[in-house]
Amino acid sequence: MRHTVDDDRGQVVARRPRSVLGRRARRRGVGLAALALAAPLLAACSGDSGPPTLNWYVNPDGVDTLGKLAEQCSTDDYDIELQLLPTGATDQRVQLARRLAAKDDSTDLMSLDPVFVAEFANAGWLEELPQEAADKATEDDVLRGAAETVTWDDKVYAFPQWANTQVLWFRKSLAEQAGLDMSQPVTWEQVIDAANEAGGKVGVQANKYEAYVVWINALVQGAGGQIISDNEAGKDATIEIDSEAGQAAAAVIEQLAGADAAQPDLTTSNEGSSLGWMYPAEGPGEFMVNWTFVYKNYQGLVDSGEITQEQFDDLGWARYPATVEGEQSKPPVGGIDIGVGAFSQHPEFALEAAECVTSEEAQVALAVDEGLMPARNSAYDSPKLAEAYPKDLLELFRDSVDTGGPRPESAYYATISAALQSVWHAPTSVDPDSTPEESADFLRDVLDGKALL
Amino acid sequence: MSTSYVATAGEDAQAKKRGKKGAPSADSERSRGENALGRKLVAPAIVVMLIVTAFPMLRALYLSVFNYSLTAPEDREFVGLQNYVTALTDPLFWRDTGVTVLYMLVTVAIELVIGFVFAMVMHRVVFARGVIRTSILIPYGIITVVSGFAWQFAFSYQNGFVNGWLPFLEADFNWFGDSTPAIIAIMVSEIWKTTPFMSLLLLAGLAQVSEDMIEAAKVDGATWWQRLWKVILPNMRAAIMVAVLFRALDAYRIFDNIAVMTAGAVGTESISFLTYRQTIEQFQLGIGSALSVLLFLSVILIAFLIVKLFKVDLAQARQES
Amino acid sequence: MRKIGVPVGVALILVWCLLPVVWIISLSFKSQSAITNGSPGFFPASGDGAGWANYVDVIENDQFRRAILNSIGISLIATLLSVIIATLAAYAIARLEFKGKKFVLTMALAIAMFPVVSLVGPLFDMWRSIGLYDTWPGLIIPYMSFTLPLAIWTLSAFFREIPWELEQAAQVDGATSWQAFRKVIVPLAAPGVFTAAILTFFFAWNDFVFGISLTSTENARPIPAALSFFVGQDPFNRPASLLAAGAVVSTIPIIVIVLLFQRKIVAGLTSGAVKG
Repeated sequence: MRHTVDDDRGQVVARRPRSVLGRRARRRGVGLAALALAAPLLAACSGDSGPPTLNWYVNPDGVDTLGKLAEQCSTDDYDIELQLLPTGATDQRVQLARRLAAKDDSTDLMSLDPVFVAEFANAGWLEELPQEAADKATEDDVLRGAAETVTWDDKVYAFPQWANTQVLWFRKSLAEQAGLDMSQPVTWEQVIDAANEAGGKVGVQANKYEAYVVWINALVQGAGGQIISDNEAGKDATIEIDSEAGQAAAAVIEQLAGADAAQPDLTTSNEGSSLGWMYPAEGPGEFMVNWTFVYKNYQGLVDSGEITQEQFDDLGWARYPATVEGEQSKPPVGGIDIGVGAFSQHPEFALEAAECVTSEEAQVALAVDEGLMPARNSAYDSPKLAEAYPKDLLELFRDSVDTGGPRPESAYYATISAALQSVWHAPTSVDPDSTPEESADFLRDVLDGKALL
Repeated sequence: MSTSYVATAGEDAQAKKRGKKGAPSADSERSRGENALGRKLVAPAIVVMLIVTAFPMLRALYLSVFNYSLTAPEDREFVGLQNYVTALTDPLFWRDTGVTVLYMLVTVAIELVIGFVFAMVMHRVVFARGVIRTSILIPYGIITVVSGFAWQFAFSYQNGFVNGWLPFLEADFNWFGDSTPAIIAIMVSEIWKTTPFMSLLLLAGLAQVSEDMIEAAKVDGATWWQRLWKVILPNMRAAIMVAVLFRALDAYRIFDNIAVMTAGAVGTESISFLTYRQTIEQFQLGIGSALSVLLFLSVILIAFLIVKLFKVDLAQARQES
Repeated sequence: MRKIGVPVGVALILVWCLLPVVWIISLSFKSQSAITNGSPGFFPASGDGAGWANYVDVIENDQFRRAILNSIGISLIATLLSVIIATLAAYAIARLEFKGKKFVLTMALAIAMFPVVSLVGPLFDMWRSIGLYDTWPGLIIPYMSFTLPLAIWTLSAFFREIPWELEQAAQVDGATSWQAFRKVIVPLAAPGVFTAAILTFFFAWNDFVFGISLTSTENARPIPAALSFFVGQDPFNRPASLLAAGAVVSTIPIIVIVLLFQRKIVAGLTSGAVKG
């Protein structure tokens, strides 16, 4: 999961205090200029004489840098062209899956949300990486959280390109005011209580979309549990959410939903809607779990004069909160993996290109220019990155990805996610006594084809 | 978008005037020739219509007895009628059916009233006919998706104007955060877009009401209200019913506005959208096909109910003399 | 009553029909950063105006330009094919006496009522296996499922108004049914055919269900689907003003057609029942 919204159609996010917005857009470098990069297939088809064109389907995150990478990685043998996917993770999956289900031979490279690798691999839509490339994609230098996402059924199907993770962002002054020692691991309960006490907010993502499942999954794993196990059994996987861990997760959501510290738009909150509460016109700010892009986002606000340097220096970060006291948290892991289409006309070229756009240099460029963190350990040691980010923040990112908890790998992930969203949304209706059980039953029925999703 | 087959509400008067035009000639050879030519001329239409609808529908019937997901093609298995049982016993299916019926009833009722007012105005107006005709055709011709966007943004509290114009609403009222307001917003877009079409159909019906009868009623001292209910409406009954039939079937298939404005969130999903989601988003071709078949059957059922309940004269809609 | 009623009614109709159109035009002049920050109100607030920037962005967007081309091409071809086939059928229905006439009309009616979403699943499954997915023919063929019945109905209504005596006269002069059709009726029927073509075109232009389900790139994606996939600067929200500009551009052809042919379209919709 990267920080695009999954499905924000119609779900209008709450108004953020004006001063804090605006810069975000520029920072992400999406924009129409980027759209224009996605040259029409017409052009692609007309080039009979020149080298073949490899189409690279990308999500609209860091498109400017991706464009440069495509250029750099093009060779005399082939040209790489970007094709832009829609904004939401769900839409992106649908677009790609439809092409691949149609055995499209012009889908050469694709940027995949890690959770869809298993589904696509299982459907036979991804080229399995040959041994050498597979070893490279999962070698020790690759952070564990990221390496796990490209493996399915003991085979490797993609190269990690960048890794995303969530940390706890907060105002140092708010934590101080509430008397919460942030140098130690904190629990959700402590964070919510602290925010309540000091009149601050707790920012999360709880709209009915993928990032809500990111939250639920992190809570469940943080309590030592998991949503499903025996994942490779597909439909017959064991459903584990109706457990103590599931109840612990539901208890956190219930506590926040009932707290003063909840954002007013909790039920439609997304990665963008909680940003504004960090530096509100009035109030002490917030604790917020959110992806790595947050740092660059607020830094951009200093450049544009929307917040002061002093305010920015008040921004703190800590490891993702623990679900239960004493158990280490499992920060969410997201990012992008690059897969090669199984029906590509030029699979060797595509493999070569995929390796090129996921190289260490490529990862550094994405991190420095776009705030998309590397999936490779060595990239974090790059001097360029050290210049762009505080050392302890980089360490935190790296550590979070390395020890984080990915969402379940399953050929039926999309179904599992949608089923969870359907029962766990709205967060205001979550009840530890009934929600985990209900969602387990519903998920079983859906997987058995006995209930509609 | 609405269709215009209904155009013929007033057809039978004309047909009667013309008499039986196409009556077979005494010459049986020519009649045979006509028969052959007629069949030749309609053959391409029949073939194409069968290819584009009957063929996929049979395919849907076939797929509907499998548990078949595109993302796990090897797991495909024959399940008999299980998909139908699943759908028909599922609360979501019935909730969406209920929501769809609600969309249909409310939008058609409101369109009928407003459409009739518009038709009356257009019938009476003597000036600026071109301007009115042009403006009424704009909602008719505009893309439904565009209408959906226009209204979604209008209702948006971040960039819209509706909250500002309605004094009883908070400025940050979120129309798309809850079922009822979201359904209202979708209905507004649907009604805005299709009312002009309804009014044109009713206008055609209105033109069939004889002015003499209205004048006669006036002479007899009937009030405006009485004239409306005793003379005008009864004489337009056929046109109204045909318009209702077609708009109702159209409204039952509502999809575009929902897809654009809420993507089915907060309980705004229609049965068409559910079917689309199962097949195209979840890639569940088995259950999705079963839903396709059920959707088709429910449209037939509604058509049948309206025809029987309101005794719509389909002969008129079918343009038979 | 009538004296005040009619002008009030006229005003009401104009407001009803044009207000949302004015709104979407107004929205298209709000700047994208104003939209990201939130800019409520009917007209752009001072400082929130974008001038023609959104239009420039939309026009310069390759994907959108392709979508316009796709929409025009696909809709025109579907219209042309439907009208040709429907003209033959409607002539037979309006003029000739033959067995199965009722059947054709009933069938067209039934197919017109067909829920298009029902067709999408099986068509997707078929198209992907025979290579029609994300191609022009892959959309033109399903478009015929609603354009053809519409054209048959509109045309058979028009053809009833044609003075068939001329045809009979031609036949008396020794022409065959076919010759009479070609030489006499076709020129007489042309205006009706043209109107039917306009209405059919509107329908094809409006399609959304097939457009989003049976395409995946700008290879064949029509305007309504392209609009729904618009990506703007703010990844968390739809680029409202940019979309509005796209919406206005996609509505221009409709408005031009309406301005030029409003009389004919109304006549087509009401089949000559309204004296235009």
